[in-house]
Amino acid sequence: MKLQILSLIAGIAALTSCNLTKDVEIELPLYTGQPVVECYLEPGKPFRLLLTQGYSYFDPFGLDSTFLQKTLLNGATVTISYEGQTDTLYNVPTFELSPVKIFNYTGWNTVPATPGLAYTLQITLPGGGTITGSTSMLPPVPIDSVVCDFNPDPRFDTLARVLTFITDDLSTENFYRRMLHYSSLDSFPQQDFLVTDRFSEKPMIAFGTGYELKVGDTVYNTVYHINRAHYDYSESVQLAVVANLNPFAQPSRIKSNVSGTADPVGIFTCLVYDRDTTIIRK
Amino acid sequence: MRKLLTVLLLLPAIFISAQKNATISGVIKDAQNGETLIGASIVAVGQSKGSTSNEYGFYSLSIPAGSDSVRLIVSYLGYESQTLTILPTGEIKRDISLSQTGSLMQEVVIKANSLADKVKSTEMSVTTISTRELKAIPALFGETDIIKILQLKPGFTPGSEGTTGIFVRGGNTDQNLIVLDEAVVYNPNHLFGFFSTFNSDAVKDLKVYKGGFPSQYGGRLSSVIDVRMKEGNNKKYTAAGGVGLISSRLTVEGPIQKDKSSFVISGRRTYIDIFTDRVNKANTGNADFAPIPDYYFYDLNTKVNFQLTEKDRIYLSGYFGRDVFNFRDQNFNFRFDWGNATGTARWNHVFGPKLFSNATFTFSDYQYNIQNILQGFSFSLGSNIRDANTKVDFYYQPDNRHTVRFGGNITWHDFVTARLKAGSDDGQVQFNAGREYFGLEYGAYASDEWTATPKLKVNYGLRFSAWQNKPAFYANIEPRVAANYSFTNRFSGKLSYARMNQYVHLLASSGLSLPTDIWYPSTENVKPEVSDQIAGGISWLIGDQVLITWEAWYKWLQNQVDFVDGAELFGNNNLEEELTFGRGFAYSPLELEIEKKEGRLTGWIGYTLSWAKRGRFPVINNGEYFSPRFDTRHNLTVVGTYEFNKHWQATATWVYSSGYVSWLPQGRISVQDVPGAPIQTIVPVYGDRNSFRYPPYMRADLGLIYKWQTRKSEHDLTLSVYNVLNRRNPYFIYLDAEFQSTPVGDVPVGIQAKQVSLFPILPSITWNFKF
Repeated sequence: MKLQILSLIAGIAALTSCNLTKDVEIELPLYTGQPVVECYLEPGKPFRLLLTQGYSYFDPFGLDSTFLQKTLLNGATVTISYEGQTDTLYNVPTFELSPVKIFNYTGWNTVPATPGLAYTLQITLPGGGTITGSTSMLPPVPIDSVVCDFNPDPRFDTLARVLTFITDDLSTENFYRRMLHYSSLDSFPQQDFLVTDRFSEKPMIAFGTGYELKVGDTVYNTVYHINRAHYDYSESVQLAVVANLNPFAQPSRIKSNVSGTADPVGIFTCLVYDRDTTIIRK
Repeated sequence: MRKLLTVLLLLPAIFISAQKNATISGVIKDAQNGETLIGASIVAVGQSKGSTSNEYGFYSLSIPAGSDSVRLIVSYLGYESQTLTILPTGEIKRDISLSQTGSLMQEVVIKANSLADKVKSTEMSVTTISTRELKAIPALFGETDIIKILQLKPGFTPGSEGTTGIFVRGGNTDQNLIVLDEAVVYNPNHLFGFFSTFNSDAVKDLKVYKGGFPSQYGGRLSSVIDVRMKEGNNKKYTAAGGVGLISSRLTVEGPIQKDKSSFVISGRRTYIDIFTDRVNKANTGNADFAPIPDYYFYDLNTKVNFQLTEKDRIYLSGYFGRDVFNFRDQNFNFRFDWGNATGTARWNHVFGPKLFSNATFTFSDYQYNIQNILQGFSFSLGSNIRDANTKVDFYYQPDNRHTVRFGGNITWHDFVTARLKAGSDDGQVQFNAGREYFGLEYGAYASDEWTATPKLKVNYGLRFSAWQNKPAFYANIEPRVAANYSFTNRFSGKLSYARMNQYVHLLASSGLSLPTDIWYPSTENVKPEVSDQIAGGISWLIGDQVLITWEAWYKWLQNQVDFVDGAELFGNNNLEEELTFGRGFAYSPLELEIEKKEGRLTGWIGYTLSWAKRGRFPVINNGEYFSPRFDTRHNLTVVGTYEFNKHWQATATWVYSSGYVSWLPQGRISVQDVPGAPIQTIVPVYGDRNSFRYPPYMRADLGLIYKWQTRKSEHDLTLSVYNVLNRRNPYFIYLDAEFQSTPVGDVPVGIQAKQVSLFPILPSITWNFKF
């Protein structure tokens, strides 16, 4: 009897160890691919823009150039206006290597680094649909100081952390994107998140790492000063990604700052930042 | 409405309409432990006059005075009926004690006439769960749970698998008024909803109203879940408990003064953290070891009661429960705890054989706290709701045709929402957010259960409710009416209507129960939620054993609360910006229950065909109506318990329901600069809300109980097998990119929908004992 009970328990245990994830076939509601605009105006760099189109979720991907051609929305007329002048962005693919970025529209001029300068985007798609957007250049917020301290716990006193301080203007609501890289800027960021000063009561804001750095490690601190539209867009994109994988998260539509008859999604914004490089020393 | 007011104004006439009657009154109790019995019936033989004990065990029965003796039969589900003979003159005070049937060493055959009582009652849309049912039905991890049993009844839609979330007749989870000894329990969950806060050893009785709400209840739209704690054995000391896979329980009760006062104290705790703590300590100093977070929950129920005089009795009861999640390493000192505390002080006073009162003070608190302390910096986040409530209820039975209830209450609410505090120890860096609100909620009611004719009973009443949260003030009238027409002793038709108002709202960011959900008050912008529900149905008793109940209902909902897309709940001083308001409706042409409570085989079959919709939200689906997550079309449950003999009992449950609706993405875009994500990220594009329906849910559970007895103790060993068919039910579905390695790295080549299930077949064993 005892043996039978043990066999039963073993059998049940074997069953319970089965995989709890399985592939299923489902049908999703119809989706018409929307044009997607990503345009970050970075002072000192050329005007560049990536114009792509969305797919139904189950549409196939491709490894060949046909898929890339289909994804990149080419043949559009793209202009950016500022200070009374209008630059045309030509349908030429360009790349940036660090970090890797692709653009399919590029202009001849570089982006002026004038805080407060307003920019207007105008796109006419080959089919006649239009996309418009506007933004303005923010001033960068400098990193005041970077402090390195070692763990006071004697068991771990060879490990250090880095604290990064900025001074925030409390008179207006500001938004930041904080990025932290170890070793090189090409590496996957150790930290990459959005923050607002909405609830800050003091002008100082600090970003920190854990006690995980050793003498000789290199730390790249980057603080982007972004506008509300950029913050909302990035946050909604993060939420959309997370909600697909997390049953506790609330799904979200993407909050765009581009509009028009082409029913686009995307972001048209400026990208200003301050960066500090620190090597850990005792 | 005017007619109803007229009827209510005539209520005082009832007080002076008493005829020359003899009145017998008292308290009906359990003979073994002195616990009062709720809903026991007392009937005068040959006079078709009867009464039932109220929620404090008090009964009052008036019969014509005379010189001939009268036989009274007192009965209660699971107890031996008792016959009394009295001489009907004057006022007779008689407490009655009933003995339980089915004690361990008897052949267990439950006798009950409660089904016949149900046929005649004006109460409709009511569900009761007895502790016998509770302990017999197989449970996840062997942890018996009163809320999960409720989910098996028609009209209730469970939350996600394994959780105690409950959606009643198309309402949201926050639209259930859950009270423990009359104190509100704001978050009835442990472990993210996998266990309820109710320790089954401490529970005496559970009654749930899904509609036809009596006037004494208010404050929520969709249900009242009224849980009563045990009072404690006033005859002898006993200890009972259980040892399970997840937790252990212990309950001690006994007399403080024999037959007059008693106490009960009941505790429960999980113990997985004891093992994880040992593993962590064993790996101290091991740099490659990632510490396992500690998690545990516990709760404690206590109650004492004192019979002060023949007419006065006081009860003091309390509940305290916490879930605690800790994680510590060289970079983190993280703690997340949440829980409820409630306290109740009640004074029962018998003014006379016809008038009974209950004065109550309750306190409720729910809070969660998240904190992390690092060297030189700290962070904390939390919310809480705290209530203090004073109420008084009167129960007046001028004659056997009228049972009048009236009373009122005032509740003080304190809400702290989305509190955030973060900064450095030197004060140079400081973040603060969160708001505090206060509210006063008022209620006053009167109702009469009127036996208009031998066949027709009507329960009509009116509730006045109001809410004050300066500068907002709302006042509302809530009519309530229910009627029963008995065509025969075995067949009756019922109708009811109830209006309800809800002044507090749960801001829940997902369809799942999370401890971080926030209770929020009605304000100038957030109007009280309102529901109107009509219901009709029949009750048909076949033989003495099988009762068929069919109900149909329709519910209108106003001022429903939902979130705008991408709402921020944490650290937000203006939560109202994240809310949007709309309407809703739900209906069912068929809510059917076939129950058998007598004999070796007992159980029920429940089936609900229903629809639920929400809409008119300006920023959701362009104002169109859509299905909320729990809008399941078909729900079918079969529950059976079979007593083989005095030692062996088997139980089985089978559940089928249509799938939940969900908000899945329609399209995808590829974006190259998402914070915290790879260089190229596939981003889902969400269209209309809740446009996808999950596959159906189906589960079968089995249980086997072996009971034995020694000279001084009783024991049982319960084997439960959850999901015995090992079916993979959908918990959630996500869309996953499939990648292929190329010289330039992994590139996506396709998308596959993946279904995640939570629980495969799960056997468990629990030992329960009683000394």
